[in-house]
Amino acid sequence: MLQAVLQTDTVLLPERLVDLLRLGEFGVVGEFIAGLIAAFLVANIMLIMTAIAGPWAKRKIRARFTDAIAVNRVGPAGLLIIIADAVRLMSKEIIVPEGVDRPAWELAPIVVALSALLGFAVIPMGSGIHVADPEVGVVFVFAVASLASIGLVMGGYASNNKFSMLGGLRAVAQNIAYEIPLVLVAASVVIFAGSLQMSEIVAAQQDTLISLGVVDIPMWFAIINPFAFVLFLAANMAEIGRNPFDTPEAPNEIVAGYQTEYSGIYFVLFYLGEFIHIFLGGAIIATLFLGGPAGPGPESLGFVWFLVKIWAVFLLTQWMRSAVPRVRIDQLIEIGWKGLLVLSFLNLILTALIVGVITV
Amino acid sequence: MSTLEEPEVEPDGLDIDAVHERLGDRVLDTEEHINAPGIIIRADEVEETLTILRDEFDFDYLACVSAEELPDRYETIYHLKQFADPTRELSIVVPTDRDRPISQSAAHVYETANWHEREAYDLIGIEYDGHPNLKRILLPDSWTGHPLTDDYNQDKPQVVSYKAHENPLLEHTKEDDGETMLINIGPHHPATHGVLHLKATLDGESVVDVEPDIGYLHRCEEQMCEQGTYRHQIMPYPDRWDYASAGIINEWAYARAAEDLADIEVPEYAQILRTMGAELCRMAAHFLALGTFVLDVYGEFNALSMYAIRDREKVQKLLEDLTGQRIMFNYLRLGGVAWDIPEPREQFFDDTRQFINEDLPESMDEVHDLLTDNEIFQLRCVDIGVLPPKQAKQYAATGPVARASGIDMDLRRDDPYGYYPELDWEVVTDDGCDIFSRVMVRVREVEESAKIVDQCIDLLEEWPEDEREIQANVPRTLKPDPDTRVYRAVEGAKGELGIYIRADGTDTPGRFKIRSPAYCNLSTLPVMAEGDFVADLIASLGSIDIILGEVDR
Repeated sequence: MLQAVLQTDTVLLPERLVDLLRLGEFGVVGEFIAGLIAAFLVANIMLIMTAIAGPWAKRKIRARFTDAIAVNRVGPAGLLIIIADAVRLMSKEIIVPEGVDRPAWELAPIVVALSALLGFAVIPMGSGIHVADPEVGVVFVFAVASLASIGLVMGGYASNNKFSMLGGLRAVAQNIAYEIPLVLVAASVVIFAGSLQMSEIVAAQQDTLISLGVVDIPMWFAIINPFAFVLFLAANMAEIGRNPFDTPEAPNEIVAGYQTEYSGIYFVLFYLGEFIHIFLGGAIIATLFLGGPAGPGPESLGFVWFLVKIWAVFLLTQWMRSAVPRVRIDQLIEIGWKGLLVLSFLNLILTALIVGVITV
Repeated sequence: MSTLEEPEVEPDGLDIDAVHERLGDRVLDTEEHINAPGIIIRADEVEETLTILRDEFDFDYLACVSAEELPDRYETIYHLKQFADPTRELSIVVPTDRDRPISQSAAHVYETANWHEREAYDLIGIEYDGHPNLKRILLPDSWTGHPLTDDYNQDKPQVVSYKAHENPLLEHTKEDDGETMLINIGPHHPATHGVLHLKATLDGESVVDVEPDIGYLHRCEEQMCEQGTYRHQIMPYPDRWDYASAGIINEWAYARAAEDLADIEVPEYAQILRTMGAELCRMAAHFLALGTFVLDVYGEFNALSMYAIRDREKVQKLLEDLTGQRIMFNYLRLGGVAWDIPEPREQFFDDTRQFINEDLPESMDEVHDLLTDNEIFQLRCVDIGVLPPKQAKQYAATGPVARASGIDMDLRRDDPYGYYPELDWEVVTDDGCDIFSRVMVRVREVEESAKIVDQCIDLLEEWPEDEREIQANVPRTLKPDPDTRVYRAVEGAKGELGIYIRADGTDTPGRFKIRSPAYCNLSTLPVMAEGDFVADLIASLGSIDIILGEVDR
């Protein structure tokens, strides 16, 4: 993977750090340290975003949808609730139910949170924030993101609780049904871009499609192939388990499913994992369909545009949550296998044909 | 001063002589209850007699089963009605021996008798021979004694050894047979709307069997009412049965029964106030039902449930203006209401009109836009949780649950009381029999209630100032004649809310029995949910709209 990193012409964050901190003289060890620092930085960006999203933004957004007010007492606009909530959640007792499968039970939240964080390693976030750029970036990001379902089924199975068990099984059934369409739609983007590398995919969307006077419509894949974009958005909703596809949790049916028995910091990890998953979903959508960090203004603003895009996806999930009923598990599987899968195959074949015709 | 005439309670069209003739020797004696003729039969001929009455005389509706202890005997009364005309009533009285209170069960004739007889067994101690599942329903299995009997010692603590209670769920955690899985939904579960326990047997995700286990919120309401005086002390209790905004309707149920018992005429003006208050309560209750149901189907962070609560709040505000209370209204009095419209009257009329004519149509559009036109919602609700009319009658489902199964019965029209007969409104029914119909019936009933309130407002506004009589003359102490009995019901937010009172000559009731609509409606849950998915079970439960305070009393 390191070799792949070195071959690209884009400057990655670890390389910058090597230059900045003069770690070059330590050779591979220096690069390794730079990589660790880079990963630490990116992980912290994600943690901060989750901290804003979970206790504050989510409540505020929902309040706007539901004619409510939400947090407004602690600090300006209720912002200090983030600290209050963090202290509250972390100081809660960790209750370990009788008869849990201890190693699996404790590992599950960590797997869920880590798998989502790992995905960000290959995402180009603009302004030079890009940890690694392997040639198989797209494959990598889907592979690690789907590790989360292992965490979910581990948590569900190890909890020794029937609701959790049902939740874990639902999570697996759902992820299998929706990951195939997800990857197939991503493959159509790969056919367009001609590369699995994230930086190449972003680069392929930089050109202008049409120029309408002062406004240049960029060649984002969401504009070139809106059909694939919508498919991907739908499959992504199921992949991150949000309304209308939040059946693995479904608090009103199976009492939050796989996370029923978790409390204290384990619960925080599960929640963290879920939020980072939403953001990772947003990051993948931004990279594959919305030109990554592209946007008006100087290139150094890229990171801002990137954040705007993933927060837009986050907003969409909250909007759906406020407005759309939850589908039943059998209906969900049916939509996945009979609807999305067929459509995504169709999309793939059409894309392949069109790209083939253009290149010939 | 004109007073509204209470409709004749004569069972018009019911040929009581034909019943006597057909039953022949089975009729031991007859008695006269205020609401219906009573026929006394032998304790071992219950099933036979009721089958004849059901099949040949069209008594397809067992409204209530009330049991009581009398000095020399135990008695079970089956209050029979007809869905086609609920004013045709007949009481079947089954006396049993004091020493050996065993009576034949009616559970094979009417499904609804199953739960009613369990309750009678639980609280009174009458044993029902042939009952499929005769065990306690409201009290825990470990209870000793039957609390509504005379020799029951209330002061004696119920001692349950730790050993016996070590694991209260022991019997519910029995080994699964490999094919199916037993899960306990509740008593603490987000979708049970209170403390309800559903023993659900699942095969994968589908429900093979579900058994509601109730009684967690049993507060001895009947016993408390038996200890209160008719005139003042009972009226606050009904607010606490269906506490989700339907207080005035509950109060009316008691008022109607007690006023019939004591022969009190209510002034017309007070009837209009009652009608308006009751319909405001119905709207608030239906909004809450809608909001909580939406929670079950949408998930916990959705806009529509909050919108429903917001609209309910507006009704709540009007009710607060009218009664001075938000939930526990205590507004009705025997023979009238507590007070008139608050001054300035115009303000109240304007606020109400504003809500009815401007806010409500807007929020109804919103409901249709977000809920009933939503395709995913239809996917979840159409043809799910089906309650066929026949089963609905068997289980004595009433209210929106029955009307959504195509049973055209509404006591406001069919057993008229209050000011309803003078007003222009319609009974909402739907033939869908599914969850969607139940939701639609409630939504449309809100609109009908708004029509009623609107007309009441007009009447109240035009009423001559010197004729605004809100209270009839009622003696300070009411002592109805001993051994008069009455069963009277009103159309509650959830269905037929009936009260059975036996007077014993004192100023407190000898027996006070509450026929709770949610109690009967909840017993239909197995019919709705078995064979569906577990998510549908939750949706069905939500669509029944139970209030545990009313179920457990």
